[in-house]
Order: sequence, then C-alpha cells, then structure tokens
Amino acid sequence: MGWLAIFSPIHAAENSNFSIRWVTNSNQSIVEAAGFDTNTLRQFQSTNWQAADWQKLLSVYVGQDDLPADMSAPPMLGSYRVEANSIYFQPQFPLQRAVTYRAIFRPSRLLGANNSAADLVARFQLPPTRQKPTTVVTRVYPTADVLPENLLKFYVHFSAPMQGGHIYDHIRLRNEAGKLVELPFLEIDEEFWNPEMTRLTLFIDPGRIKRGVQPLEEIGPALETGKHYTLEIDSAWHDNAGLPLHEGFTKSFRVGPPDREPPAPATWKITAPEAGTRVPLAVEFTEPMDAALALRVIRVANSAGALVEGERALSDREQHWRFTPHASWKAGGYQLQVQNTIEDLAGNNIGKAFEVDLSEGVQRRFTNGVVKLPFDVQ
Amino acid sequence: MNTTYRFAMTFLMLGALTAALHAANWTEGMKEGKPEFKSMGPLAFGPEGILLVADTKAAAITAIATDDTAPVKNAKALKIEGINQKIAGLLGTSADQLLINDMVVNPISRNAYLAISRGRGPDAVPVLVRVKAGGELEAVSLNKVKFSRGELPDAPVDGVVGQGNRQSNPRQESITDIAFLEDRVLIAGLSNEEFASTLRAIPFPFKTVGSGTSVEIYHGAHGKFETRAPVRTFVPFKVGNQPSLLAAYTCTPLVQFPISDLQPGAKIKGKTVAELGNRNRPLDMIVYQKDGKDYLLLANSSRGVMKISTDNIENAEKIEAPVGGGGTKGQTYETIARWTGVDQLDRLDAQNALVVRRGEGNSLNLESMPLP
Repeated sequence: MGWLAIFSPIHAAENSNFSIRWVTNSNQSIVEAAGFDTNTLRQFQSTNWQAADWQKLLSVYVGQDDLPADMSAPPMLGSYRVEANSIYFQPQFPLQRAVTYRAIFRPSRLLGANNSAADLVARFQLPPTRQKPTTVVTRVYPTADVLPENLLKFYVHFSAPMQGGHIYDHIRLRNEAGKLVELPFLEIDEEFWNPEMTRLTLFIDPGRIKRGVQPLEEIGPALETGKHYTLEIDSAWHDNAGLPLHEGFTKSFRVGPPDREPPAPATWKITAPEAGTRVPLAVEFTEPMDAALALRVIRVANSAGALVEGERALSDREQHWRFTPHASWKAGGYQLQVQNTIEDLAGNNIGKAFEVDLSEGVQRRFTNGVVKLPFDVQ
Repeated sequence: MNTTYRFAMTFLMLGALTAALHAANWTEGMKEGKPEFKSMGPLAFGPEGILLVADTKAAAITAIATDDTAPVKNAKALKIEGINQKIAGLLGTSADQLLINDMVVNPISRNAYLAISRGRGPDAVPVLVRVKAGGELEAVSLNKVKFSRGELPDAPVDGVVGQGNRQSNPRQESITDIAFLEDRVLIAGLSNEEFASTLRAIPFPFKTVGSGTSVEIYHGAHGKFETRAPVRTFVPFKVGNQPSLLAAYTCTPLVQFPISDLQPGAKIKGKTVAELGNRNRPLDMIVYQKDGKDYLLLANSSRGVMKISTDNIENAEKIEAPVGGGGTKGQTYETIARWTGVDQLDRLDAQNALVVRRGEGNSLNLESMPLP
C-alpha cells in the first residue's frame, strides 16, 4: 500500500464528485473516470505507473458480475492516460458486440485505507448487429453428381468471409439411409482456408480411402461405389460478422467406381481459337479435374515462352477449361503448360496415381515438371 | 514442444566444439523491433530461450529472443481452470471467440507460452500469452524484442487467378508442427489445394537467402501401396545411433525416418514402427524419460493419450502385413485413461507434463500432470 502515500488526503466531501462513464467517439469506446482535484491529477502525471498500478484504481472486465468465472477474471489489456481532469482507459483490442463490459473505478484506493467509498461501476455493451444473415454457400466443388469412390476432397465456397474453429461441428456426410458417416473428413486443428476465409478445403480422411491401411479395415471406407450420399453444411455456422448462414446447403451425389488412372494431358482435346479474336482457348479434359488446381497450374505460353495474360474458367462439371486472353490472339505457336501437380478428383497426378501399387513392379517416376501441349493459332 | 532435450545432450557431447561456436551467436541476425504476425500457429523453443513462432498466413517462422532465461529445475504444480475464459477476459473478448493454437514450455524457465487467436475470422489478431510460474497470465509485449524471420522457401508465387486484377493467392500451406534440431528448424506443412505433405528444414540462425531443404512425405501402407501422407506432428529422436524423426501421420501409423534422408527434393517414406488403431487423430507428441527409458507420449483427439514404448525401436520390423482384428504390431503402447480431453501437450520438467485439456462446459484447463 506504499504507493497510496503519494496522494495527499482528499476531503470526504469531494467523494461525491467521482464519476465513471463510457464514452464513444469515432468508433472507439473508452472509459472516463473523473472527479479528481488538480493536485491528484498532477501527481498522476508525474508517476511512473505501470498497468498493474492503474488497474488497482480503474479496470475493465468482460462479462457479468455474478458468475464465478468473472470473479477471477483478469482485467482487460489497454492503455491509460491522464487528460484534462480525467483518467481514460482505452481497450487494446476492439470491443465485441453483444458482450457486456464492466468498468470499475475504486476511488477508495486514493483516500487511504480506512475509507469506505464505494466502487463505481459502469457497464457497456455494443448493440448486437442489426444485420440479417445473408452469407450462403455459393458452390461446392466438385459439382458433378457422380463422384469416384476414392474422391479426395471438396472445396466449399462462401459468399462472405467465415469464422473458423470447430468447423467440423457444421459439416456432415449422410448415407442413403440418412445415417451419418462417422468421421469421413480429415479433422485437424489447422483448417484449410484461403486467406480471406471464403473457401474451405475438406479432405476426405486418407485413412478412409487408402487400401491396406488399418482404419479402412476396421471401420470401412467413407464412400462406397453405387451408394448415394449427402454432404450437409448447416446454417448455424457463423460468418465473420457473427451471423449464421442465411440457409444451410446440401449436395447429394452418387458414388462411382474408384479412379486409379493418372490424368493424361495427351488425351485432352484442345480447340484453338482464331488469330485476331479473343475467343477463348477451349480444353476438354477426359474427366473432371480438381477445380482449384485446374485454375492455378494450367497456363498458356507463346512461342517465346512468355505467359499470356488472361482469365481462366471452368465449366461442365470441371471437365471443360477455357482461357480468354486480355489481348487478341496473335497467329503463331503456343503451349498449354500443365504442372504435373494437377490432380483429378481422386488425387491422381500426371504420371503418378494417388496410390502406387508397388507390387506391380512398375516404378512410376514422379518428377516435378511441366507437361507442354503445343497448339497453333491461325 | 520440447523435442530437443535428448538431442541437445547427445550432440553437445559429440560435437562440443561446434556447439560451443554456435552457442555464441544464436541471436545472430536478430534486430530489435516489433515483429509482424498475420497468424500464430505451432510454437517451439530453440536454444537459450529463443521462441520459434510459425505464421501460416505469412509463410514464415519468427524467432524471438524472449530473455526468459532464469533457470528453474523443477516447476511448481500448476492448474488454471478456464484458461480460455481468463485469456479471453485479458483480451476483452468472449471465450468462444478465442482459439488456443499451441502451447509450449520454455525448457529453461518452465514458463508456458500459448499462441492465441483473438477472433476466428480472417481478421483474427494473433497474441502470444505467457503463463508465469505463479499462474499469472500476461500478453507478451512484442513492441521491442530481438527477433529474426525465416521465410519458407518454395512458397508458390503463382496464383494470378482471373478477374484481371491480381487477387491474393488462395493456396496456402498450413504449418502443422515445427521443431528445432541442432542448427535447423524443421517444419511440417499441408497444402490446402494439392494433397501434399512436406517437411522443410531451414537453417537457424535464419539466412537471408531461402536455402531450405524440402522433402515429400510418403506413406507405405504395409509395403504395398504408397501414397503421399499428411504429417500431423513429429519429434526428433535417436533410434539406435541414428538421429531420426518420429512422425505421426494423420492416417494412423507412427513412422520413423533418419534425419540423413532429408536431402533436397527427396521422397521420404518412413518405416512404420507402430500401428495405433483406428480413429486415431494425433495432436501432439513428446519424448520423455522414465526409469531410465525413453517413451513417447502421443495426445490423440479421440483416444486419449498413448504412452508408446521405444524399446528396441531400432530393430523394429517394418510393419508389412495388415494388422487386423484390433491387434497391434510394432511398438507397444498403453492408453492412459485418466488423461482425457487433452488438446495440447508439452513437457514441463523431468517429472511432469503440461497439458491444455477440456474441462466442464466450454472451459479449457491448463494443468500439470505427472508423466505416466
């Protein structure tokens, strides 16, 4: 209590001038504690108080006051400053909507050990958002209705940024009897979002698709040929604004046989456009390809090897790829460049199936490379 | 995660001179200032209280000289109930808007550090929280610290996806585990697009030119089928005389491969040394000693915590034939039934572990437990 000694005793009559309130200006909510006399304020300004010292006098807590958890809650982080005739506390992080914040000012800490001045409390809550739920799942890839038994992943696209953490509570796979498939997805803490959190990658647990692996023998594959399934995303999943989805989403599909054949670009059908136009280059795959990879690892280069700028798009159950250049096509030779990390829906790469059966004796070489398919624009 | 204890002892004895030369400049290349973080994921301690923080969004590892180097041999027992609620209170948010991404113990001071996400959206703020010996929580101020940064090599730069304007690259590699070993930081990663698991080794102290070794991890299931395998967590471990890594794949088995396999561009297959049964989703793994023997402790999301023997692991046969009917082959293990709901695990001191485990309701508790 040594630090109390630096303050000259304050007359009891002045106690009633103490006040505390929340002040909001330009989107910031801060706490103002007022009612000090000039001597006290001068002493504040000349001290070298750390946060722990300030917190004894003025501190802010999250939550209601009656719950046991709140009794032991630590004070919130923030900065203190003395300005005009008041002390201000500014939270270090933005306040959260619909959460009660409780600021407590303890003038008794100034008045000496015997003083019984009551603590002053001011509560504050940012109103809950008035917005209505609008975020939806815009698309799930693959879009085909028939998927291979050894399907590797889904991509779920949202119309706005989402919240992560505990996402698997909102994602389910149901079989044709309406029963939940147990743990079909790779559920790890590191969720597979894009940076904006508008796209989520769901991997089928590899242990539930690979052959010769113990989990498969014990609890069976996630998907079985000939059966129907439904992927469900429930609307209770919150977006980044804290609102649930406007509605849930389901994708029903049938499962076909496993695909163990690597994609073979030599079998793709390339339809070259005419020179002088901006008609898209069209490529027809022999099977649906992984949507994200098909849009990223396939490029077009001219005869000098320079990449041609343009827009890539997929259609027809991700079997059709087209490229619209920014500038008109010039006549000449071009190359479609495909990195062999591209995957089909079962994760087979160019030159290497997802699973290599070593007993076959055929050593398939896997090199990090690019397959180049030439075409002419005339 | 204190994965370097055993190694540090071995290598210091064998390579005393080299180690001594290195010890003089672990902070080489560090500047004083405020490191920027887009996210904070896996944590690991390097030498001399240097904390390594993985930032998946920035595809970088940041090394911070914590100066938390007052040695403590035996830590005090610790139990903080509702640590998620307390940290949320500290950061001015509700507990459901807080994620604990990792927890490690400084092997010198025995203080615990947590990588926290305040918020669950793309604008979540990463915060480093320290738990001091008395149980007091503090947000570690990073305004003026000595730090250095290692960028992950081979991060893909392509990603101009349509729409004219350059959009951000949707491809991201999630870092699932990191460890410091000798003079390198090892980093396990999983891509959100191609199904690929990589293990990278970048030299430490960090060099400015990205000169990492990257290998692909494969899983040979029973010697017949080989596929790429997602590594979830790993520890350095000496198998016989061979410095190795023990890795827990997401699809069940525990595999071992020698560190010497980490050659650039190599394809690492790993020898399966234990089949841990189905529904196994490994979370965290540590090595510890009990009664003069080494054990692995593996926290698992659905099956509790497994104590795995390393007896004779250097002679472990490759598990070749399918192990059916719930039997196990390879290293023996027991499930420690009383360790339920463990999310995070690290060694606290020679006798104890520190865990984050699910408590009542939505509480997460931080508590010390005697090593089994």
